[in-house]
Amino acid sequence: MLTNPRPPMTDVPMADLRSVRFSYDGGRSWILDDVNLRIAAGERICLIGRNGSGKSTLARLLAGLVAPDSGSVQLAGYGVFDENGSQPAQYRTARRRIGAVFQNPMDQIVTTVVSDDVAFGPENLAFKRSRITEQVDSSLASVDMRDFANANPSRMSGGQQQRVAMAGILAMAPKMVVLDEPTAMLDSEASMDVMQTLDALQHQGVTIVHVTHKPQELSDADRILELTGGHLRETSRSDAIALLSTDEATEQHAHEQIERLTESTPAVLETESVQGDPGPAVSFTHVSYRYPQSSVDAIHDLSLTINRGKTIAIMGRNGSGKSTLTKLMAALRKPTNGTITVDGVGNLSKLSKRDRKRLRSTLGLVMQRPEQQLFASTVEQDVAYGPRNLGLSEDEVAHRVETSLKLLGLDRFANRSPFSLSGGQQRLAAIAGIIACQPQILVLDEPCAGLDAEATIRIEELIGTLRQKGVTIVLITHSRGQAYRLADQIVTLDGAASRTVRLDDGSQTVSQTGTASINSADNAQDTQTATTHRGSPQTSQPETSVPSSRLGRLDPRVKLLSFLALMFSSFAMGSPQELVLGAIMIIGLIVLGRISPLQLLSKTRGFLIIFIILGIFNMLFVRSGDTLVSVFGLPITTDGAISAILSICRLTLVILLGAILLETTTPTTLTDGFDSMLSPFKRFGLHSQETALVMSLALRFVPTLSDEAKTVVEAQAVRAGSIETGSPRARIRAAAAIIVPVFAGAIRHADNLALALDARCYEEGIERTHWHQLKLNKRDLAFLALCLIYAVAFIGFHTMPWQPWR
Amino acid sequence: MSASSHAPNNHDNPMPATGKGRDKTQSAHATGVGDRGRWSTQRIAVYALFVALAIATSFIGISIIPGVSYLKYDPSGIVCLIAGFAFGPAAALIVSVLGFVPHLFVDPWGAVIAIAVSVLLSVPAAAIYRRLRTRQGALVGIVVGALLAFAGAIGLNLLITPLYLPGTTMAQVVKLIPILLLFNLVKFAINGVITFLIYKPISDLLNR
Repeated sequence: MLTNPRPPMTDVPMADLRSVRFSYDGGRSWILDDVNLRIAAGERICLIGRNGSGKSTLARLLAGLVAPDSGSVQLAGYGVFDENGSQPAQYRTARRRIGAVFQNPMDQIVTTVVSDDVAFGPENLAFKRSRITEQVDSSLASVDMRDFANANPSRMSGGQQQRVAMAGILAMAPKMVVLDEPTAMLDSEASMDVMQTLDALQHQGVTIVHVTHKPQELSDADRILELTGGHLRETSRSDAIALLSTDEATEQHAHEQIERLTESTPAVLETESVQGDPGPAVSFTHVSYRYPQSSVDAIHDLSLTINRGKTIAIMGRNGSGKSTLTKLMAALRKPTNGTITVDGVGNLSKLSKRDRKRLRSTLGLVMQRPEQQLFASTVEQDVAYGPRNLGLSEDEVAHRVETSLKLLGLDRFANRSPFSLSGGQQRLAAIAGIIACQPQILVLDEPCAGLDAEATIRIEELIGTLRQKGVTIVLITHSRGQAYRLADQIVTLDGAASRTVRLDDGSQTVSQTGTASINSADNAQDTQTATTHRGSPQTSQPETSVPSSRLGRLDPRVKLLSFLALMFSSFAMGSPQELVLGAIMIIGLIVLGRISPLQLLSKTRGFLIIFIILGIFNMLFVRSGDTLVSVFGLPITTDGAISAILSICRLTLVILLGAILLETTTPTTLTDGFDSMLSPFKRFGLHSQETALVMSLALRFVPTLSDEAKTVVEAQAVRAGSIETGSPRARIRAAAAIIVPVFAGAIRHADNLALALDARCYEEGIERTHWHQLKLNKRDLAFLALCLIYAVAFIGFHTMPWQPWR
Repeated sequence: MSASSHAPNNHDNPMPATGKGRDKTQSAHATGVGDRGRWSTQRIAVYALFVALAIATSFIGISIIPGVSYLKYDPSGIVCLIAGFAFGPAAALIVSVLGFVPHLFVDPWGAVIAIAVSVLLSVPAAAIYRRLRTRQGALVGIVVGALLAFAGAIGLNLLITPLYLPGTTMAQVVKLIPILLLFNLVKFAINGVITFLIYKPISDLLNR
């Protein structure tokens, strides 16, 4: 199996699959059954098919990331799989010529600086340092992200992240790129950026395999292939478009609808009052919401009334505040300004416990990707979670679970683990969990995103049924067709600084199709302007993660070791002169690091407050020495005061050192330093390179996981789950309902990340190049000398006979 | 790999004795590149995400004893225990150590203690569970780990208290013992109970 890789001949196809079969259940069913596919160099192929049809599997096969069960596979001219099985050496060589881009951009990014991330692949391929620099630069240029080379990808929009992910692949100079729904998580504008990059690649002669669900992405393909029932067949563009459209006529109609420019004054929406109406279901009065640490309102001066029994569709591009709106309705966020009323429950910002409970039983919120909140051992238990939290009797709970499972066609899965279901079924199970609470107002945030036509229809039917039962429905959607099919009204949230609301009367617009189409030409220019303008809050300006300074350019090994030594030594401080010395050291570091002292203070404020409390505690605890003053009968002694000062100063020094270190060092350099320092332990069996990579990836994923955890907490709060109140059993159940989905998220990210690492050609123990070379220079030596002087001074002070505090 | 020994016909992929755990890449579809050996990309990715979880949870601070605000509970112990059950003692060690590395820059001594306690909790538990792959095994593992961690936490806390509260005498430090006992008892009880309860659904997830 270790035959030497044969160089590819000219004119060989980029991929040649013959009689390929692939099974996930040991041959009981075949997701790919006798697939034959030949892709010529330079071809652009679109691959379509339903959810679960095997598109992703085929894409991974083509990218050389998995091997089939049988058949033969040739990639980039290398015979990677034949009757003898996998040929690792051939796979290894072929994979270096094939790039893969996946759905979720965040899971493909391995570090926190764009250029370092793009360099990861070339480093794994052991390119020379100079070549890495060239490749990073040219690939960032080709995705139009050169200005962002030093930015932090986690603060970018999804479209920008996906372009960074593509640059990471292009930097490895692949001959073929396989893309698995690269625009599935992006809005239309960001998708267009990705498609433009693909066009550019096509012109450069790169072979492209593009898995997609979107009809509009088929246009530049040389061939369109459809996977169905495990078989692959070529299909015409018109047939493909028909297959991918939920309802072709409506979609077509929807695309022709041109948005009018919004007026600059906030519009107040009123729907006609139904007779005997006890007031609106939801009303927003001049509501604004601003996220902490943001300088613009996510929602600005919004007034909106939703009457009972109506179905409202809310549209608008990513970042226009749609999801924020749903969270405000569910009282998960308090508006910065204005008042919100839901089902007669007055001001949501000041909810009493009773009102909160009432709100939880009247309003149901299906968040984005609700399947990510599944947690229980069985579907039944998961669905029962909400009703149980509402304090219903076990009989009633069982009844509700049964009804809602039936409504979603899931009754036969009641006793299955939710994690064993398909993606679409998981979504339905999660929705069942909300429906089981029988909310009178149901808010759904993009319930059909990422689902195929079949599952989408199931959810649309559910919305229809609930609507007939008189449930008020608020539906967030990106699909104009869906909005027109389901809603009484369509509200468009504008993403611009002045956020206004526009009302479309669905029925009216449908009858005015002709007029709308005629208007479209006139308005095209305006719409363009509006779109560009809206893009601005999303498209962050290039932002350097770490400002360059003398401290920032230090060798990370020198920095890590000396900072740790400084931190540990701070605990030995015991006299005023030592504290003064420490203060001088901190000031010196702040100057060298060009850090704003105010920023440093605001970043460590929380800790400093804790230290002061701890110091006061300490002061009251120590009873020796002369009494200075008595507070409420508690003596404060000289020793107590000294000990409080020491405690506060020591801990403050430590936290400031830590903050300065993190402020002036990127995770990549930290990891490089970590790796280099661990490498002597290799001889003891420590995988230093892998350990360092684990650490770097972990740091990169901490914010992602924290955000997801917050979402899960909110989602379960809407189902009336609470760790703070209730019996110990209920509290533990509430904890599990949060912890399990968080773990599930981590495992899901890990699966994607493993593929991304494979696509970037990372292997255990490979010889990698380090783009940033670690080499001690004069600056490092000077810094070490300064540290040494500090140490000598410190020891001097420490051993001085004059020790007033001892 | 499942905490439920009572499940009949358990066709879950049992964890090999080497503690390879869930290495889906060892399946029939392995390409033989980067997905073999102790550090497959799958393994690196799973470790990374568990370490990320441990880091994120370790910064959570919940006061569990009213009036004692300086002793905060964090759920990172659960992450270390689950990592150990799912992937073996080596994983427990890595997640325990790397999960607290960021704390070295915030609270160096505290980090050293947290690492020690976390290792004491999760590594023995994982080692026991590896030998006895049943619900009882998990329970024994958790209890033994919790007892060791409990002893370690008390001892080490007494050692470092003078660094944080300078000027305190040993007699005063000893007075802290009841609070430390109560806090750690509650802490390890929460960790143990939650781990025991959530391991089943998580193992379902891992064995999908």
